[in-house]
Amino acid sequence: MAIGETGADLALRCEGLSKRFPERPRDVPWKHKLAAWLGRRKVDAVTDVTFEVKRGEIFGVVGPNGAGKTTTLKMLLGLLRPTAGRAFVLGHPVPTVEARRRVGYLPEHPYFYGHLRPLEFLEMCAALCDVPRAGRRRRCLALLERVGLTPALDRPLRKFSKGMLQRVGVAQALVGDAELVILDEPLSGLDPIGRKELRDFIPALRAEGKTVVFSSHILHDVELLCDRVALLINGRLRAVGTLESLLSPKVLSVEVVFSPVAGDFFARARAAAEAAGAAVAVRGERAAATLPGDEQTGALLRALLDAGATVHQVTPRRQSLEDHFVAEVGPAHRTVESEP
Amino acid sequence: MTGSLRRLWAVARNTFVEAVRNRVLHVSLVFAVLVLAGAPLLGELTVGEERRTVVDMGLWGISFFGVAIGIVLGVSLVYQELERRTIYVILSKPVRRWEFVVGKYAGMALTLLALVALMVPVFLATLWLVGAAPGVEVVKALVLVTAEILLMCAVALLFSSFSTPVLSGVLAFGIFVLGRLTEEILALADKTTLAGSEWALGLLAHVLPNLQLFSVSGRSLDGAWVSVHGTFVTWGYVGTVLLYGATYAALALGLAAFLFNRREFS
Repeated sequence: MAIGETGADLALRCEGLSKRFPERPRDVPWKHKLAAWLGRRKVDAVTDVTFEVKRGEIFGVVGPNGAGKTTTLKMLLGLLRPTAGRAFVLGHPVPTVEARRRVGYLPEHPYFYGHLRPLEFLEMCAALCDVPRAGRRRRCLALLERVGLTPALDRPLRKFSKGMLQRVGVAQALVGDAELVILDEPLSGLDPIGRKELRDFIPALRAEGKTVVFSSHILHDVELLCDRVALLINGRLRAVGTLESLLSPKVLSVEVVFSPVAGDFFARARAAAEAAGAAVAVRGERAAATLPGDEQTGALLRALLDAGATVHQVTPRRQSLEDHFVAEVGPAHRTVESEP
Repeated sequence: MTGSLRRLWAVARNTFVEAVRNRVLHVSLVFAVLVLAGAPLLGELTVGEERRTVVDMGLWGISFFGVAIGIVLGVSLVYQELERRTIYVILSKPVRRWEFVVGKYAGMALTLLALVALMVPVFLATLWLVGAAPGVEVVKALVLVTAEILLMCAVALLFSSFSTPVLSGVLAFGIFVLGRLTEEILALADKTTLAGSEWALGLLAHVLPNLQLFSVSGRSLDGAWVSVHGTFVTWGYVGTVLLYGATYAALALGLAAFLFNRREFS
């Protein structure tokens, strides 16, 4: 397959990817166990998933547990064979060595060889990625420094914390200088500092010309990082696009923070805010007036200022990815849960 | 070094390091050395036959511990990659599945050769203690024992490519026992009167690895009695058996790679 057929500006293209697994006998009721044993019962993990990722994009794959995110990513790496459909990595069909040569992958809950030290492990990964022997060690040491593991060079990997293993995982995904980096739940289980570091790391990869595809449950991080997202629910692609195209631009509410919160003055300000249709809540030495929508914002501000209040902050709240996710996932989950 | 060889060596090296840093292997090795070192004590009980006892005990010890450790490595190291999900990292790199299987085997083979290299000096020292020289017959027997260990490791790895470690271990041990009885199975096939059993036993004897070729001492070979204590096999025989073992191991690894290639990692 020539690159031209899949678009030279595309890092990844999935066309109708589907995966159907045989159901495990232990997961089915007694009356269906024989059929499961004979492999006649199947479950659709991923159905007809089609999307494209452009070179240099940060692309998020989001969805609830069991939505098919990891299954989709594993099909892109050849760890699972699609039941139907096909995929291309930088124009190379999946699964091929040429496609994998261009991909760096961090698996979910990474576990690496506990008997190895980080440099030994990274050198092995570099050899597997055909990194030339000359300069291999230098490259690995530089990567370990980049992910902040230089102080732990002498420690075997079995003594590493979850956050440190995640850093090793990122380093091994980058050791082959892959053009496409696939990170499966890279932020899960990390402490706030680890999350912040990784959040800063992902845009830095893009700045180096890499394309990043990552799955995550942490929607706030996805919203901060991604150019586009794909929303998977029950193995089907529910939506794909930029955050602007997926999320409503309409302002859902406006919060105005003001002070002081005592005496007659506050009673006047509160009455003025409530007259403008806002709900008022006191938070310590300040109060927050929340309006449904943004039509009355000007009236509220005028009323508060006329009452002598000091306005500290005006925050319009638009639909977040989480709002969209809950709206999409909620009914789908209820459907699944209500099935017999 | 070509790409395939480089990747294969990277897997082999990691497997070797994993095995030699495994404490279970250390304990097994200490136990094997103790058993080998105890051979002269047993020799004291057989007055005038010290050399015979020490040679038999030494060859048996190296064979027993070598095959046992070979089977354990063969059935566990690939399974551990799946169980601990380290396989995801390896197979997401530009590695072909056959490179992984052959690399794993090469690492195990290196480990087993290192084990034999550690046990042989102990064996030679026990011979020296009873005032005997090893002789070229013992060298030939050691070469055959080592080849048998490597062959059984390949068989164990084949089973581990589609089964659990316990079942793979049982199957590999069964193959080892039956492989040491191939002549008896063929003799039984000649004598049996049950319909179809002659054919089935004959097929079994030819599919199983003929491990009696590797453990030939104390048997009749082409009408002549061969023994490591007297007239033993020629180097030509050793070469032919090595070729047989290498072919069998290559077939086992080829089948393992074929089965592994079909596996999915969910």
